[in-house]
Amino acid sequence: MITSPRLQIFAAISAIVVGVVGAALIASMFGAAAERILTVFFITLVGVVGIGIYSGNSGILSFGHVAFMGIGAYVSALLTLPAQLKVATLPKLPDWLATTEMGLLPATVIAMGVTALVALLVGAAIGRLEGSAATISTLGLLIIVHGVIIGWRDVTRGAQSFFGVPRETGIWAAVIGVILALVLARLYRDSRSGLRLRAGRENAIAATAVGVNIPRERLISFVLAGAVMALAGALLGHFLGAFSPKKFFFNDTFLLLAMLIVGGMTTITGAVTGAVVITLVTEFLRRLEGGFSIAGFDVPSVFGTTQIGIGLIILYAMFRKADGLAGLKEWEERVFPKRPPSGSAPALQEVHVSDSLTASNMTMQFGGLVAVNDVSLTLTPGEILGLIGPNGSGKTTLLNMLSGVLRPSKGAAIRGQNKLNGVPAHKIVEHGIARTFQNIRLFPDLSVHQNVLVAALSTHGGEDADSRARAALARLNVAQLAGESAGTLSYGDQRRVEIARALACRPSLLFLDEPAAGMNRLETDALMDTLRGLTRDLGIGILLVDHDLTLINQLCDRIIVLNEGRLIAEGTPDDIRQDPAVIEAYLGRGKPGKKTKPKNRDEPGPATELAG
Amino acid sequence: MRKLLLSTTIAATLAALPAVADTLRVGVATAQTGALAYADVPVSVGMHLAVDEINAAGGIGGKVTIELIEKDVRSDAAQTSIATQELVDQGVSVIVLPCDSDPALAAIGVISSAQIPAISTCASSPTLPMIGGEYMFSNFPGDNVQATVSAQWAWDQGHRSAYIIYSPDTQYTTMPLYFAEVFEKLGGAMAGQATNTIGQQDFSAIATTVAALDPQPDVIMTSAYEPDFPSMIKALRAAGVTGQIIGSDGIDSPTTFSLGDVAEGLVFTTAGHPTPGSSLETFNTAYEAARGESPETVFSAVGYDLIKVLEAAVLAVDGSTEPTALRDAIANLENVQGATSLITYKGTDGMPVRQVSLIRVKDGDRELLGQPSPDAALIPAPRMQ
Repeated sequence: MITSPRLQIFAAISAIVVGVVGAALIASMFGAAAERILTVFFITLVGVVGIGIYSGNSGILSFGHVAFMGIGAYVSALLTLPAQLKVATLPKLPDWLATTEMGLLPATVIAMGVTALVALLVGAAIGRLEGSAATISTLGLLIIVHGVIIGWRDVTRGAQSFFGVPRETGIWAAVIGVILALVLARLYRDSRSGLRLRAGRENAIAATAVGVNIPRERLISFVLAGAVMALAGALLGHFLGAFSPKKFFFNDTFLLLAMLIVGGMTTITGAVTGAVVITLVTEFLRRLEGGFSIAGFDVPSVFGTTQIGIGLIILYAMFRKADGLAGLKEWEERVFPKRPPSGSAPALQEVHVSDSLTASNMTMQFGGLVAVNDVSLTLTPGEILGLIGPNGSGKTTLLNMLSGVLRPSKGAAIRGQNKLNGVPAHKIVEHGIARTFQNIRLFPDLSVHQNVLVAALSTHGGEDADSRARAALARLNVAQLAGESAGTLSYGDQRRVEIARALACRPSLLFLDEPAAGMNRLETDALMDTLRGLTRDLGIGILLVDHDLTLINQLCDRIIVLNEGRLIAEGTPDDIRQDPAVIEAYLGRGKPGKKTKPKNRDEPGPATELAG
Repeated sequence: MRKLLLSTTIAATLAALPAVADTLRVGVATAQTGALAYADVPVSVGMHLAVDEINAAGGIGGKVTIELIEKDVRSDAAQTSIATQELVDQGVSVIVLPCDSDPALAAIGVISSAQIPAISTCASSPTLPMIGGEYMFSNFPGDNVQATVSAQWAWDQGHRSAYIIYSPDTQYTTMPLYFAEVFEKLGGAMAGQATNTIGQQDFSAIATTVAALDPQPDVIMTSAYEPDFPSMIKALRAAGVTGQIIGSDGIDSPTTFSLGDVAEGLVFTTAGHPTPGSSLETFNTAYEAARGESPETVFSAVGYDLIKVLEAAVLAVDGSTEPTALRDAIANLENVQGATSLITYKGTDGMPVRQVSLIRVKDGDRELLGQPSPDAALIPAPRMQ
């Protein structure tokens, strides 16, 4: 399923087909040399979008995908190489392979399949690594594959040239290849898997909390990218007619990554832009390499100008346009932005679950520090439970344990009949628990609609995802912002979008970590109304952490209080207001009674916060 | 109608004339950077020297000037294929390929379909023209011929056991396998063999293995070149190996003569030696006059040879620069006087018959041991290694 508007996809695919075919027709008017330059460009572009499918969507820079290009080239070439030549140059090939001789198309398809299989194995092994470890592991992949190609002499001729490959990649084979790769990459970007992966790239913890299984989505894109790289390799091998392992090593990795980074990793528009810019510049510089004369002044041959030129472009791009020349959006997303939905939004469904969440003896130890110590609580759908305590008392840690972000050192959380302790973080939401975060964790470069949609798509099997997303946006009164990038919103709007995203998961329990932080009184009051409505109308249970005690006191049915990791009080707002332990925790020892009398709650000031 | 007839006749007459051009466009796709630059860069210098000399005299036969169109292939197979194709697109008459059969092989498809003759600057693997087809030529004594010369010399010196170190990474670095074949044919015994990878910096394991042999081999033969060879010979000598070391043309470079004591007594085969009155001595003098320094390796002279071969081919077809005519002309050249020796293509499959010189390093300088013509019956048949 494609998650973006049909108009955008239609515009993108039309532009790809028209652009590629048009370029090929123009080149064919300029003769064979121009066709060949364009063929190389198209093949390069397949490689660039191939890396982009993985690196752009996952945010993990991959140095390793050129290795898949190599595998694709060798596998396909072994299948198309004339049998006679195979016998002469690769005498130790097994018989079935030595006598196989097929056309470019079946060989390419097989090469893509084989490479996808290799990518599946590799991806499963390194897919769980994060950040620079993930990037470095792809570098390892490149080096290992290079080593295997060199070492497997009987099949690959080792470091020597693999030659005699039929030169069957003409301009039209390249046209078909590049259209296939570009369309595939474009569709993947806005597929369910692609959108989930991009959410994971933007914020892994938040994506996991709304049910995104990041390693799985990564693996899908890794394998898809591997297959596309194999396509590039097969086309390249059959264009050159001869290659050696060096062709699929650092130089080309550097070139393709430079294109991707300069153009912008996250979009197809960026991949194309980068490939065009770098190709134009290198073709220009390569012609200067042999020496030239300008205004009667002879410039001697300087070999190596090309590499220096690419380096300078990268530096320029990084200084002036760190997200790449094309930025973070596809061209069609800028030209045809998603309009806010018209008509009345569907309503959110009521919750029909009555299972409470029971946490008992929850303890979290970070080394010697006990952040949460033996805390028990229950939360039932339909009620609002306040969780308060001074800074550092363990509120967020407790929330993180209950939502699967942290694994408790001791204690157990049970929802209905199910123990939540062993449940992976991305599955917690399937138990009806959604949450927001203390420091806002939106997917800043995705639109508001996509932020919410990805949550809807990743829960309840993606059923009614679109209507759930629209209903959630409408409920929080942010539907008119649907087309904006989430990162550009005001603070209050970001908070509301985050709640909408949690609601789109259709939870029965909602954990809100300081939802009113940074809001003014007016906004806070509106938020209170909204939250009350969620319990009253829909029957959702809310666990509310906040420092705004006015909010807590007015909203909550019950309050629990933490101090230094321990539960020090539990009861109705009235009970809590008068609890001496709470007063002491907030105001310190020695001044009992002074601040305990309730004041007018409309009067601002620190004292009202507790008295509220 | 008469007009049409007239113009048709003129056109037919023009087409019937031999394709005489004033310029021989030579596409040069060689390795100006990368692992093969050690040979291809001096080759380029030699080629330019020959072109300047010929053009200054009014061109080949006084009418066809030579134009070199140069591209750097970075010692890479894929890049060679691309550069060759670009040169073909630019309409060159003949193509010069890098100094190793591997990148040169990458151009096979391009030159055979374009039907343009190609000559590798100094690839010495006899399999290059064998596999490359009728448009592929080499410009250097073949590996099998060099190995025959050095094996024969070793045998004549009384050496009876040999050890070889080779790399399966390229055709060229498997020359020791030819050496072993000839040496055994002569009656010698092989004491063993070791393989290395190109770019391997640490040869201590191989050196230890050789040093542990009992009895020690009389000869150690390798065709490793820079930067591997210096490390290899240092490791062997450091491990206490004292046997005769034999190398090949790849080490005919200033580095070898600057290694000091470890290289003393080292013997290698190469394409020529400036004996008094020889063509190479004349070349070296001309080189010094033009460049202000003497050539550091024989590869500059080899580049000069290549242009002389092209000159002879153009002369043989009366100044034509038509590629297929040039191919046939090159294939039938006999005794072309180059800077290093006489060069003959006639009767070969593209691997020229040329003189091989045996050099010994003595006091950091070169000493000529001989320029023997090997016994044809001993020369091994070319084969892919």
